[in-house]
Amino acid sequence: MSGAGGPGAERAPTVAIRSPLPGVFYRRPSPDFDPFVEVGSPVEPDTTGALFELMKQFFEVPAGTTGTIAAVAVADAEMVDAGQVLFTVRGS
Amino acid sequence: MGVSVLQPGLATTVQDVGRPGYYNVGIPPSGSLDQYSSLAANLLVGNAEDAAVLECTYMGPELRFGSPATVAVTGADLPPLLGGEPRPAWESFAVGAGEVLSFDYLRSGARAYVAVSGGFDVPAVLGSRSTYALGSLGGLEGRALVAGDELPIGDAGGAAPGRSVPEALRSTHPRHREIRVMMGLYDHRLTDGGRRTFAEATWRLTTLADRTGMRYRGATLEFRERVAPFGAGSDPSNIVDAPYPIGSIQVPGGVEPIVLHRDAVSGGGYVMVATVISADMDDVAQSAPNNTTRFVEVDLRPGRRARRRRAARLEALREALA
Amino acid sequence: MVRRSFGGDDHIFVEFDEEMNLAANFRAMAVTATLAERRIAGVIDICPANVSYQVRFDTDRLAPRDLVAELESIEAAVGDGTGFDLRTRIVEVPILYGDPWTRETASRFRDSRQDPDATDLEFAARVNGFDSTEGFVAAHAGSPWIASMVGFVAGLPFLFQMVPRERQLEVPKYLSPRTDTPRQTIGHGGCFGSIYSVRGAGGYQMLGITPAPIYDPTQTHPDFADSLVFFEPGFIVKYAPIDRETYDELTAQVEARRFCLRQAPVEFSLGRFLADPDGYNRGLVEALDGR
Repeated sequence: MSGAGGPGAERAPTVAIRSPLPGVFYRRPSPDFDPFVEVGSPVEPDTTGALFELMKQFFEVPAGTTGTIAAVAVADAEMVDAGQVLFTVRGS
Repeated sequence: MGVSVLQPGLATTVQDVGRPGYYNVGIPPSGSLDQYSSLAANLLVGNAEDAAVLECTYMGPELRFGSPATVAVTGADLPPLLGGEPRPAWESFAVGAGEVLSFDYLRSGARAYVAVSGGFDVPAVLGSRSTYALGSLGGLEGRALVAGDELPIGDAGGAAPGRSVPEALRSTHPRHREIRVMMGLYDHRLTDGGRRTFAEATWRLTTLADRTGMRYRGATLEFRERVAPFGAGSDPSNIVDAPYPIGSIQVPGGVEPIVLHRDAVSGGGYVMVATVISADMDDVAQSAPNNTTRFVEVDLRPGRRARRRRAARLEALREALA
Repeated sequence: MVRRSFGGDDHIFVEFDEEMNLAANFRAMAVTATLAERRIAGVIDICPANVSYQVRFDTDRLAPRDLVAELESIEAAVGDGTGFDLRTRIVEVPILYGDPWTRETASRFRDSRQDPDATDLEFAARVNGFDSTEGFVAAHAGSPWIASMVGFVAGLPFLFQMVPRERQLEVPKYLSPRTDTPRQTIGHGGCFGSIYSVRGAGGYQMLGITPAPIYDPTQTHPDFADSLVFFEPGFIVKYAPIDRETYDELTAQVEARRFCLRQAPVEFSLGRFLADPDGYNRGLVEALDGR
């Protein structure tokens, strides 16, 4: 994953959070809101990292691990494939 | 003893070879969208060809078996797990009483088929067990599965586990496809430029893709100017409501072509410009959102040749699993 | 002018006219009814529509050119349709016009409507030049309608009023489709009426509602013993305005599985209709009273 290695990337291993489904990736709950997470945001396993939409249904993507967001790999409102890396989390 | 639905997946329905003969009153054929994979799953477990299977779209269900069975998973690459351990796709395997079948994330394709020896024994309606959710018809209570459902299983003659579809007869699911279409219906409403755009554009499948239709995005098609005929709407893409062939491609407003599949709405007021040949409908069913497609124009003769080749491939499958 | 096209390798599509008219509709019904009677091996679905029809067939059992030849011979025999009598039935459909449920639904889709401050019924009356909704209702319920096509979803009839074109009611569809329409809503869009067989999306203006089910996948209502779909192409509908009290009474009958639509068998002749539409319609409606 290019882009996952920011400053200090060598310090702790990163975990890739992948999309479980194909769909449209949303970084914010709605256009007027701040993104769920930014690079550097601390996350817990149940922290919502993103939303995605498929067949007019919305699904939350939990971070699934504890750490900080190392990289966001997909632009807001972009289509993704099932299994595509959405963001990476550096373990703490 | 049947199968308990612990998690339903995203849109999992009971399907079979379909319910032809009622399209004139708006009831579409329904049935597995990828009939080839559905047939393979049934043959692997020794079922009759018209036995009902589960069609799992984009995400698999979690199923607990009440009694031992032979199971096969085909179609999309949605890796099966038994008690959390990987099991092969396109091969039949044994499931013990109390064991849980689940699935890993989708790798490619869109729809996986799960056959169980004996078949899913929901009541047949108008000669088919297929679910037509828009009409609350067939399947399990006319709808997609929900957690807590109990699926009855028919008496299994069944085949022993360990049968396998030869590699050459397994479907693969590329991210880009060429789908063959016959132009026609209302294609004379397109300008020459509109026709060219239709044939040359790379169409990306949107997230609005279900058993009724698949909506693509990629270009805008130009229609000829006209005086709206009485009874048609004012937009150049409107017509007096007409029947929609299964596989027909309509283009509301000239943007976002929709390919109708086996749960099609049977008619309506949008211009259709082409129809997917019958041999390529299984491939349309295995396109996932974000996959790309080019529509390649063919005539009736090559369309029928492709149909015969598909029939020969189905026959090869039957021989391999006889 | 007859226009023919293949829809892929397994459908043939035939269009008689680009604009809606009863003659083209009748030809489509006459040709498809004749084709059905011939019981040709390999024919899967025969779908008459407003001004066109479609046949889905198994090309392995029926060669496309053989089917085309068959259709051409039937079309020649049917001609302009005026010599063909359609055996069908007339059905009286009770409507509560301006009912509270479709009004509530319309109020949820203000942004999709041309005049959010009027009801759909008031809007339909105004755009057709009526001073009051009563005048519109009198025109809507005054002459029978023919089910020119059944489809879109299971059992939904498209209805075309059997009056000369200058008396056709026309109402624009919603600016954008609703995601919800009550089941058994009486709709109107363009020159077509419809009865929504199931709850769901829709774009027609909502004029009222009928207590009568027209689609019953459970087949527990008396009208559905033989088929889960009530309507077939060619059925003739006469609307009967009802008040709320009658609506509630009929709804109770429906819930008790005792309700049956009033209906009578009729033969419909396009030629005799065209010669005297109003007189012919009166005769059709009298069949309901057993006269």
